[in-house]
Amino acid sequence: MKRQNRTKKERTMAGAFGRLLPVMLKATPFLFMASMVLSVLHGVSFGVETMMQQRFFDRAVDAAGGKIGIGQAFLALAFLGIANVACQVLNGVANFLPDVVDGKAGAHLSMAIQRKISRLDPAVFEDTEKLDDINKAEQGKDNAFWYVTDVLTLLTFYIPYFAFMGWYLFSLKPILVSAIVIIFLPTALAQLIRAKAFSHLEDASAPVRREYEYYETCMAGREYFKETRILGSFLYFKRLYQETLVCLQRLKFKATMKSNLFELSMRAITVAGYCTILWMLYDALLKQEVTVGAFAAVFNSIGMLYALMEEIICRHIGEMTANAGSIRNYLNFLAMEERTGQRPDAPGWGDVVLENVSFSYPAGKKDDGTPQPPHYAVKNVSLTLRKGETLAVVGENGSGKSTLIRLIAGLYLPKEGTVRKNGVDTRQLTMDALTCQTSAVFQKFQRYQMTLAENIVISDPGAESGKTRLDSVCAMAGTEPGAFPQSYDTMLSREFEGIDLSGGQWQRVAIARGFFRGHDLIILDEPTAAIDPYEETLIYNRFAEIAREKSAVIVTHRLGSVKLADRILVMKDGEAVQIGTHDELIAQEGEYKRLYEAQEQWYKS
Amino acid sequence: MKELLINHKKYGFGDFLRIPFTVCPVYAGIKTLNQILVSVLPSLQVLATAAFIDTALDIFAGKAGQSAITAPLLCLIAIVAYNNLNWQLMSYINLKMAMRLEFAYRTGIVEKRAALEYRHVEDNDTWELVNRVCGDPVGKLTGGFDNILGAANIVLRVGSLLVILMAQVWWAGLAIVAISIPLFRLAIKGGQQIYEENKEAEKHRRRADYLKSVLQGRENVEERTLFGYTEKVNRQWLKKYEAARKISVGVTARYFVRLKGSSLITVLLSLLIISVLLFPLTKGLITPGMFMGLITSTLNLIQMMSWELSDTMNKIAQNLEYCKDLTAFCALSETPGALDLPGAGIPFESLEFRQVSFRYPGTDKDILKDFNLRLECGRHYAFVGVNGAGKTTLTKLLTGLYDNYEGEILLDGRELRTFRQADLKALFSVVYQDFARYQISLDDNIALGNVLRKDPAKIREAAEAMGLGQTIAGLPRGMETPLGKIKEQGVDLSGGQWQRLAIARALYNPAAVQILDEPTAALDPVAESGIYEMFGKIIAGKSTIFITHRLGAARLADEIIVVDGGKVAEKGNHEELLSQKGIYASMYEAQRSWYQ
Repeated sequence: MKRQNRTKKERTMAGAFGRLLPVMLKATPFLFMASMVLSVLHGVSFGVETMMQQRFFDRAVDAAGGKIGIGQAFLALAFLGIANVACQVLNGVANFLPDVVDGKAGAHLSMAIQRKISRLDPAVFEDTEKLDDINKAEQGKDNAFWYVTDVLTLLTFYIPYFAFMGWYLFSLKPILVSAIVIIFLPTALAQLIRAKAFSHLEDASAPVRREYEYYETCMAGREYFKETRILGSFLYFKRLYQETLVCLQRLKFKATMKSNLFELSMRAITVAGYCTILWMLYDALLKQEVTVGAFAAVFNSIGMLYALMEEIICRHIGEMTANAGSIRNYLNFLAMEERTGQRPDAPGWGDVVLENVSFSYPAGKKDDGTPQPPHYAVKNVSLTLRKGETLAVVGENGSGKSTLIRLIAGLYLPKEGTVRKNGVDTRQLTMDALTCQTSAVFQKFQRYQMTLAENIVISDPGAESGKTRLDSVCAMAGTEPGAFPQSYDTMLSREFEGIDLSGGQWQRVAIARGFFRGHDLIILDEPTAAIDPYEETLIYNRFAEIAREKSAVIVTHRLGSVKLADRILVMKDGEAVQIGTHDELIAQEGEYKRLYEAQEQWYKS
Repeated sequence: MKELLINHKKYGFGDFLRIPFTVCPVYAGIKTLNQILVSVLPSLQVLATAAFIDTALDIFAGKAGQSAITAPLLCLIAIVAYNNLNWQLMSYINLKMAMRLEFAYRTGIVEKRAALEYRHVEDNDTWELVNRVCGDPVGKLTGGFDNILGAANIVLRVGSLLVILMAQVWWAGLAIVAISIPLFRLAIKGGQQIYEENKEAEKHRRRADYLKSVLQGRENVEERTLFGYTEKVNRQWLKKYEAARKISVGVTARYFVRLKGSSLITVLLSLLIISVLLFPLTKGLITPGMFMGLITSTLNLIQMMSWELSDTMNKIAQNLEYCKDLTAFCALSETPGALDLPGAGIPFESLEFRQVSFRYPGTDKDILKDFNLRLECGRHYAFVGVNGAGKTTLTKLLTGLYDNYEGEILLDGRELRTFRQADLKALFSVVYQDFARYQISLDDNIALGNVLRKDPAKIREAAEAMGLGQTIAGLPRGMETPLGKIKEQGVDLSGGQWQRLAIARALYNPAAVQILDEPTAALDPVAESGIYEMFGKIIAGKSTIFITHRLGAARLADEIIVVDGGKVAEKGNHEELLSQKGIYASMYEAQRSWYQ
């Protein structure tokens, strides 16, 4: 298990390198190489500065003792000055360049992520594990990027610095090299123990923290505000809030004290190491093996040696380990399968035929880790949507209506059985070919924070967005662009200095969007839920007119509205239980009649 | 405690000190003392190093015995030890201080937030301010405290080094001060300019981030896939991203130039000082040890002038912004008594709207215009009307969420605004369309309907009445099962189950007036009818207001009020309204036509 973990980690890290290095190189070859070279110089410049300090100190002491002229001391000072200036300039540039490289390469990588997402099977968004990979891909990309940068910095900055210092100390007195080991060992050991023993401490308090923050939301969060106030439940939540705070603080205190004690003892080791080095230097000084200047310069650089060593080990290596998870998400995401349809030509308008179609969403795992048996959202449905027909789909929540229309639209591919559009199996088509000439208004339609025009034309990116066409779809959907402050150019978002729309207004925009896309099959998934009944009637009537020429599928809870359909399909528990005209279905004892009567009773005079 | 910390006043940097010193004077004091000690350590180190080197040189020269080195060596070790250990020692104090502040200050902030007038909650700009102030308030407060200590640290550190330097060569110290002041000002100015330019970049970045969420988010996977707009939006994204990036790169470049520019000036300055120090050294006026110590400290100043100073300055700018935000937040108006428990119920006969006009703050559209209506105790009313007619606004006025209406709302002749919040809470119960899904135990969810008295038998009754019996039987811990994902053993309910639970909470609520604001809008027809039937059970013995745009349910009411254009357009029972052949009749026909 342990071994496996390690190889997994190694693969993650190697994968990150393999993926990102070429992109970084390609995005800005010159800057990238320049930043590498400058980084090496930057590392070395720190060492050179120490060396120059020693030279200058020695010359100054000699000059004071009258052994050399003051001119030589000035010369050494000039060198120290140059080293200092170079060090400062390199420090600035070496910190700046990776930002630029990151910015440029980041754009390429983000666009690639976005393209890849558009080619994924929409069903994977229902799979919690894969969704996690998708959601964390962007963050993982950033982390992978910094990981690669970190490793490169380690190679080009830290290692040259320590190598230089090692050589320099060795040249002063061989035993002094052991200073680097004295600095390295406890720091590395501390990090190792920290990672092993303390990484899980934060986890223990995380659920309590979540609870604590949740109660704060209950007291004063926007979504709870009205209700908490009218119920007078503030004090109830305040009590819970303070109780969890006490508990949270106890956990946090315990954890922090434990790690603190550990850190303190590690620090004590550091101090001991520092003293050891000091003693070695002092010993060498007394034996006159090193000069006073060398003593002072090296003594001054011990702080820097420690600081940089800690930077490598604690910050960089610590971050790498912490970010390994999301980097893995990113790599998993890159490895995800895309839709594989081969035929790029649109199948053309014709019947849509479902043959024994079943579909199940990706199942999670049971508590014991074994996969759950698949739960079929759609079971064994056979159906022909005839060319030009309007089909209504009705049924209770969870009966599989929404899944069925996604299969008809081609968003999902059946797990079993086949869906054919004009005789072509949907599995064989590319995404573009499949969705060509198909439009929809989904139940969870989007409220794009864009202008009114952009909100509508987004459904058909290739289409001309002439005003006539916009006007006509708006008229169909009951949207009046004239009522918007800047007509079609009105930004529909308060956040971007535009206006807010009501739920009903948004729904009409969504309907206009659906109509705008060129289509010979349109799907309406409860398109009028947020619109009041009077207007709903108008929209349905207009829709009936438009749909007369096209194939259409309407999903609705309002059973009354199904009458404009040619046929009605009744879904129950994923199965198609009834199909026929309203008159046929109402004459049968069945699900349709039950649903219809449940609603109709409120409208009987 | 709250009054002490959060009140309506202008907040400034002093409050970053005042609040911690008020809440936990001992810890704040220890932290301050430690900071002072830490800031003079470098100067002490200069002195110790000087003594150490000079003693060592004396030992070589045979002027002193080996044992003379012990004192300076111990001093050096002590300084190194304190430098290395103090951070860990202080982390205990930091933790304790954060804990105290979490209790006092954060609770104070939350109380202020919970007591705000409701209009602030619906105002997006104000709510953004609230979120800025209330997100990790303790972190921000201690950040400000540390920022002040950090700035003091720099001043003290530089000051004490200057004192030592001036003791040796008096004018060198003055020269440093003279040159440092403009550098200092440059750093402050730079910080402000960067802040401005970053704001500009932030605008593009926010747009880019939004477009990215369109391209990557789960919620629009269907439209994204079907409409195939990824390439087009990707191009828009790249444009915004690049616009933000170019500004950022420019800002960062200039930031580095300024930062390193000031470091270079400091380098040159130190070189000047060092070369001047060479003369007294060769003349034997200062010892080699002191010389090295001084040079080391001047070189260290360069590092400090570089990162630390600009970092501290940036933080000061940020913290000043936070002070502004905090001042604005504390100035927001509160509803008196907002956090009180409900009072004892007050009996009433009638509730009357007289010439009520209302518009939302900051808008110029009258939602209600000369609205007149009299409601009698014990009767059942349905408010119907098209979206935006003002139905929901009426409940916001009744429950005291808004009180800036014109005209009068009278409860038995007494103006509603003169009642205490506690009375209003006792009087009204509301099930909102977007009712709260409290992620606490199921029985507490219902019990919240009456926070004054928890009666397990009645709670169960309410749950059973709403048809939750089977749901409860299926839960691992029955009524006590925590709901939602907040607790680890929590179980989530379906939308319909939550809805029933919200109505069960209303059932358990002893309030005299029950308001249901379209709580069934998201239900399918069968579930909806079920809820309506159960609703009949609430109706018994109470006054109810049922807001809906599904007219079928309105028929349950004694009186239906059609709200249109901010006024009562029609009222009467179902039959009366149908015969009037007005708005109600046409809406009803529109809906009924689907069933014939």
